[in-house]
Amino acid sequence: MNTEGPPLEQLTRRLLETPTPFLGEPRIGTHGSVHVTALVADVLAAFGVSAGPDALKRFDARDRTKERNPRLLTQILCWLLTDPSLRGKIGADELLRLLFDEANALAAQVAAREFVDNDERREELARMALSSAGLRPAGESRNVAEDRWLAVSSRERTRLAAASRAAEERARQIREALARKAAEESADKWSRE
Amino acid sequence: MDPSMSPEDADRYPGLTPAGAQMLEWMREHPHAPIYRNASGHRLLPDELPGIQAFAAEVRRAEVDPRADLTQPWLREYIAQALARVPHYRRYGSPPDQLADLPTLTRGDLARDVAQFVPDDQPLDRLINFRTTGLTGQPLLIASHPLVAARYLAFHQRALARFGIELTSGPGDVGVMLVGWQQRCFTYVSVTPQRGECGLAKINLHECDWRDPADRGPYIDALRPELMTGDPLSLAALLGIEFDHQPRAIMSTSMALLPGLRAALAQRFDCPVLDLYSLNEAGPIAVFDPALDAHVLLQTQMAVEIVNAAGDPVAEGERGEIALTGGFNFCLPLLRYRTGDHASLERRDGEWVLAGLAGRAPVRFRTGSGEWINNIDVTHALKPFALPQYALLQRADGGLEFDVHSHHGADLDAVDAALRGLFGAEASLQIAAHPEPCDKVVQYRSELADGAVG
Repeated sequence: MNTEGPPLEQLTRRLLETPTPFLGEPRIGTHGSVHVTALVADVLAAFGVSAGPDALKRFDARDRTKERNPRLLTQILCWLLTDPSLRGKIGADELLRLLFDEANALAAQVAAREFVDNDERREELARMALSSAGLRPAGESRNVAEDRWLAVSSRERTRLAAASRAAEERARQIREALARKAAEESADKWSRE
Repeated sequence: MDPSMSPEDADRYPGLTPAGAQMLEWMREHPHAPIYRNASGHRLLPDELPGIQAFAAEVRRAEVDPRADLTQPWLREYIAQALARVPHYRRYGSPPDQLADLPTLTRGDLARDVAQFVPDDQPLDRLINFRTTGLTGQPLLIASHPLVAARYLAFHQRALARFGIELTSGPGDVGVMLVGWQQRCFTYVSVTPQRGECGLAKINLHECDWRDPADRGPYIDALRPELMTGDPLSLAALLGIEFDHQPRAIMSTSMALLPGLRAALAQRFDCPVLDLYSLNEAGPIAVFDPALDAHVLLQTQMAVEIVNAAGDPVAEGERGEIALTGGFNFCLPLLRYRTGDHASLERRDGEWVLAGLAGRAPVRFRTGSGEWINNIDVTHALKPFALPQYALLQRADGGLEFDVHSHHGADLDAVDAALRGLFGAEASLQIAAHPEPCDKVVQYRSELADGAVG
């Protein structure tokens, strides 16, 4: 974060104004309109880097249940990362990590559209992109930028961990509730299947 | 409320009046009564009854439009809520522009962990369950609620109204008798508070549940239920019992009701015989109307798609698998749930119907001693083994082929013993185990001439 980059608002506004084609349904099997692999290849080209076919193959989604949301976030990231202020400042490996691994992790608990519609989420994604490019937001000192990025990213990690724990506990409670004697006895229906 | 009532009974029948208690006792203690082996109840709180009646009135008058079209406000809201509040659906991400953008859901998804389908804000203290194995042989536990169970009646009434039947049973009457015909059957008595605590009796026609099998006819004649419901195998067994009572309607569920059996029931009881397409996962979906030669859809907030193997909607009027979105079980919201049943969605005489519905056919099996048994008895016998998926075929020579899929560690010797316990020690039985699950398993099949019912 030695170098000053664009104002944070430039990237958050870019997210807010994500064009409709980047929010289209990712192509999965025979369904959807956005070819994510091609979009990622375009981003790499815009950064002047390339990746082997194996690295790109991962973006070829097959399972709508698991991949619809992460790949939609990949599309949103593709739009964000092609901001002129970021171009050429992120290497191929880091780009692929953001577009695949980070997208998967963030989309595990949050709907991708939230990173367009929600203030906090937009800031999180914008700071992540700047950090990956080694930039700090214009007007922020290095220390302040680092502190804020750490706060945003650790807050997210804490939130994800807490959500995961809460989900496991809730599932356990549901399984217990369904196994109670009264639940097993069920209740009156005038016909049974 | 009777102060001597046990806490369990107080939960089963909240707000029970002395007249309701008398009805329970009369059905249970009648000299011809069967051996009631279980207990259950409506579990409805008195302050829930007006809501149930309002729901029934709404179901009665609302128009059914099953098109999976997001211009329907209820459907858009339903999807948004499910994506926000249900753990499994949350992974799908944001609301789509069209329903078909979302993945389809299979019975296997529900079977893996039903907890992932219960909304985050659903209180758990009154959760109940319904168990089923259905067409594919995958055991399934459905999360439900007493209100959901009570709402079935609203759809029954809508279905009955098509045939000119308005239920009249009230205080002092028996409203419904659910008949089973199984070696093992969950049997009990209850009352229905939204209909003046009229009686509900769930009985097993199998001889093993009666002190004297000759009591069956007199018991039915004593209770005089307004409605009788059951699966086709149980209704076929009803034809073999002598009694005079004629219910106002008969309702067949669980499996396809074949025309021969429908005709025999209609002739014997001189009343409408309704073939209800109903799933534990979604409740009553449609009722067969001979005038339209199709099943007329019943639910007002249920989108129906017909999809191909890839889960994409087929062209209008084309045949495919029925996929459901919506429904009235608020403990188990469904988004594009593939039922495993096939039909086409059409409009006939201004009404939406499932045409050519091919559901689960009833099958009975012949034991070594020549006795016929219900496929449900096979299901019960195999319950202890938690087999993820299986199929049983009885060949024309009476021999049995049993296939287990995805069986990881199941004790197949014990399965063999359980099946021989049912069919006889000398039964010709071949068990084949396959490590992988199978997408399309027809759970019960018979090549015997009398194996199919109807």
